[in-house]
Amino acid sequence: MSWRDLAGRGRDILHGMALTGYRRQLRAEAIDLQDLFLLLCYMETLGLPNPATLYLLDVYPYFLQEFHLWHRRMGMDRSPLAGFGCC
Amino acid sequence: MRHLLDRRVVFFGGKGGVGKTTCSAAFALAASRTGRRVLLVSTDPAHSTSDIFERQIGPAECELRPGLWGQEIDEEREARRYLDEAKGRLSGLFNPNVLREAARQIELAGSMPGVTDVALFERMATIVLSRLDEFDLVVFDSAPTGHALRLLRMPELMASWVRALALRRHEALDAAAQMAQAPASPDDPVLRALEARAERLGRFQAALTRPGESAFVLVLVPERLPIEESARAVHRLEEIGVPLGGVVVNRVLPEAASDAFLRARKAQERVYLDEIERRLSAAPRILVPQLPRDVCGLDSLEEIGRYLLDGPVR
Repeated sequence: MSWRDLAGRGRDILHGMALTGYRRQLRAEAIDLQDLFLLLCYMETLGLPNPATLYLLDVYPYFLQEFHLWHRRMGMDRSPLAGFGCC
Repeated sequence: MRHLLDRRVVFFGGKGGVGKTTCSAAFALAASRTGRRVLLVSTDPAHSTSDIFERQIGPAECELRPGLWGQEIDEEREARRYLDEAKGRLSGLFNPNVLREAARQIELAGSMPGVTDVALFERMATIVLSRLDEFDLVVFDSAPTGHALRLLRMPELMASWVRALALRRHEALDAAAQMAQAPASPDDPVLRALEARAERLGRFQAALTRPGESAFVLVLVPERLPIEESARAVHRLEEIGVPLGGVVVNRVLPEAASDAFLRARKAQERVYLDEIERRLSAAPRILVPQLPRDVCGLDSLEEIGRYLLDGPVR
């Protein structure tokens, strides 16, 4: 293996290390944004008034899957909300 | 109020019992006499429009006389229909398990107190956005002032929410796509639904606030409390952006009264009329006299209609 190959490998390793951190950050940010969106949609269940809740009734089923992923990610096996049985 | 004949949507509102239904019916009738096709919609749960025209009107448009159609919207019924429609739009899109859960959630939401307002608001939006092809003028006999103004504020309030949600959804989708190193899918059903709603709300709001196309007519009687409520309503209408088309001062006593009691009432009324002139100067004030008999049937409505279109303006 030549010095040139070795230098190439080293560059790849450094590149991968940087990218992993970057991807982790991106992932965390993507999840945060998704959670914020869910929170805004489900404010009413937390007792915060949301004027649009009743206006978006037929949009809510689309969130069942996302909501399920959220409560699993938060370490809750079952849905924490009464009257909201996604599983 | 002849200038209101060329508007497309006219709301009549005011404190309970001041004569909103009578004035809106008389105005709609007078407008239909000028050759316009007019739809008179009552959103007042009391539904006195049927009583005034002395016939059953009901929730479907029905022709009252040539050029004039009537419709009485019942909020409970609209709420039921709204929930059923929401469920109907879902079928075929999801598997039965999700559908069952979604239907349960919709029913649960349907027991919340605001659902009749949203359903009524949706119905008004549908009428304003789709029936103006058919009619030259839609006259709404609204619920009492506070409720009517709340309904008229809804498009703005909801639109800002729905737009904010759409924006957040967009960000979340973009971030997810960036992570997956793939372009964001342009047809996310949630985003599409949110954007469609925002667009509809925007069109409804535009129709309500476009000068020369819509108007709110405040009806009051020359008494203390209706004056206060009307003065507040003028400010609220300004905030909402719905043009104030006129102020109808209903049941004004005749000048020539022989009886001492009536003269005393008239003297007090003059004070209130001056106050109305001073405080409600934002739009023309039309005086409609107290008639010797109840307003009932077409003849007396026509008499009121003549005052509304060509009567004395203070």
